[in-house]
Amino acid sequence: MAGAPTLPARVRTRPITPRRLTDLVAAAVLSCLAFVGLFPYLYMLETAVKSDSQFNSNEATPTWPLHFGNFATAWREVAPYLLSSIIVAACVMFGCILLGSVSGFVLARYRFPGRNFFFGLIALLLMVPNTASLIPLFVLMRDLGLLNSYPDLIIPQLTIQTVFSVVLMKTYIEHLPEELFDAAQIDGASPARTYWSITLPLARPIIGTVALFSVISVWSDYFWPELTIVTNSLRTVPVGVQFFQGQLTTSYGPLFAGYLIASLPLLILFVALAKNFLAGIEGGLALDR
Amino acid sequence: MTLHPAGRSASADRSPVPGRRRHRIPGGIYLALVPTLGLIGFFGYYPDINGLIHSLTNWEPGFSSPFVGLGNYRAMWHDSLWWESFVHLGIIFVVAVTAMWVIPLAAAELLITLSRPRWRLFFRYLLIVPLAFSPVIQVLTWQFIYDPNVGVLNDFLGKVGLSVLENNWLGDPNTALWALIFINFPWVAGLPFLIFSIGLQNIPGEIFDAAAIDGAGRWKRFLAIDLPLLLRQVKLLFFLAVVFVLQYGFAPYIATQGGPDNATTVPVLRIVGVAFDAGEWGYAAALSTTLLLIMMLMSGLTLLAGRRRAPGGAR
Repeated sequence: MAGAPTLPARVRTRPITPRRLTDLVAAAVLSCLAFVGLFPYLYMLETAVKSDSQFNSNEATPTWPLHFGNFATAWREVAPYLLSSIIVAACVMFGCILLGSVSGFVLARYRFPGRNFFFGLIALLLMVPNTASLIPLFVLMRDLGLLNSYPDLIIPQLTIQTVFSVVLMKTYIEHLPEELFDAAQIDGASPARTYWSITLPLARPIIGTVALFSVISVWSDYFWPELTIVTNSLRTVPVGVQFFQGQLTTSYGPLFAGYLIASLPLLILFVALAKNFLAGIEGGLALDR
Repeated sequence: MTLHPAGRSASADRSPVPGRRRHRIPGGIYLALVPTLGLIGFFGYYPDINGLIHSLTNWEPGFSSPFVGLGNYRAMWHDSLWWESFVHLGIIFVVAVTAMWVIPLAAAELLITLSRPRWRLFFRYLLIVPLAFSPVIQVLTWQFIYDPNVGVLNDFLGKVGLSVLENNWLGDPNTALWALIFINFPWVAGLPFLIFSIGLQNIPGEIFDAAAIDGAGRWKRFLAIDLPLLLRQVKLLFFLAVVFVLQYGFAPYIATQGGPDNATTVPVLRIVGVAFDAGEWGYAAALSTTLLLIMMLMSGLTLLAGRRRAPGGAR
């Protein structure tokens, strides 16, 4: 564009056009909204590196030196919850991707008697959230002798996530190009082969979405683990951090450090899979139309 | 390998009966559905049906459960705490479909007002970051903000000279429910914002250009174009709000235990209390079944109402 020396000056003195003004105002308001929304977490970050005495003498503003030792203290407490959550989330994720992709593939690609009935039966459960089934499910798991165990944490989550996964996968696979499946059929590919070599690779984006939602769900579910788990090392993050909060009522530095550590896996996954998350919501919107 | 013949052979199979193209039903199809159907049948449908049946009994898990007919439901009819908890849900619902939509909508509008795509992307991610924290951690953090002694809110009020307003936010029956509702204020990090912003993004740019040529200002465009097009999402948002509100419970369970003075009791909390504290499983099953039926009724009505409106609205 222009000569290098004059460019910075010109940028600085660029007249404020109406469009630029709108941009600035919009950005300013959005920054305020973002700040208010993020404030609790910024505060959490600030307090996580304070010692108790620093917190007591100056609660509001950052203080020096930073006490990273809080993270070590918190790690010892939170690590078992993270481990338990990761085990549960991995099982739920694997299970609901497997069940969802197989059922979604079959329901989307084959016509057979009962197809709509079976899909309706699965989709209907979308309207029956976990909390309404809490009591009878508790009695069922109690009768099966599964309370306070990994299966107890995994199975109810797997059920709900499978429902969700089947619906999303069926919709997605239905919209894949028909020609690919026709071609596979003509080439004599078996249904199993068509599923494994064509459907699964093409469904990768929606698999990412389902994976993220299953982890979010494990990191959100509160009542079930709260009511059925008593062994500390089995506690998942939501009930673990609450228990941990009860232990450390006045030691805010390690407490907030613990919250941050417990949030980290979800935070990382969220940043890595943000596109899948948005795609999942767009998929849901498409389903709605 | 199996893919390349697609071009030459796809048309060959475009048989006269389109619907019948996926003919031949291998029995394996049903076999493939068995694990999914078994799982949701046994752990999805069976407990709910079992709960429905046992709501007619004096349910004692592990022992015999004497049949009491509609006794539990009659008791529910006179359970003032149960109905009071629905009043609380009503208040939460009103906020959930007004303020909790308006602020995200405003944010979504501001987002598409930004002229640079990179800024839009940046602010969209910045605004939804709180979603990546476990909801329990969100509640615990806000519980700390509301803390009467070390809480940020009272601290802030004191510093700006408004110490008269300092309060035990979660401990005062007059403010407790509102304090719970205001958790996660300004409510931008959530599905309504994402749905609005995706909806606005999907409106073709030509429509906006045409509006600009016609001399429609930003506000007029919002009323004439954005809002009518977004109305299509309202059905989904309403459905999500119904589900969110009827399931609402863990925040008061953690922060107030339904107190003070039952000011924050909600149905889920009442059910858990009846079952786990009072040990009245039959009654809890009746309450659960009632909540379940309300949920299905409400979401069914929402979907039906949306469907009937859709054909007229789409044109």
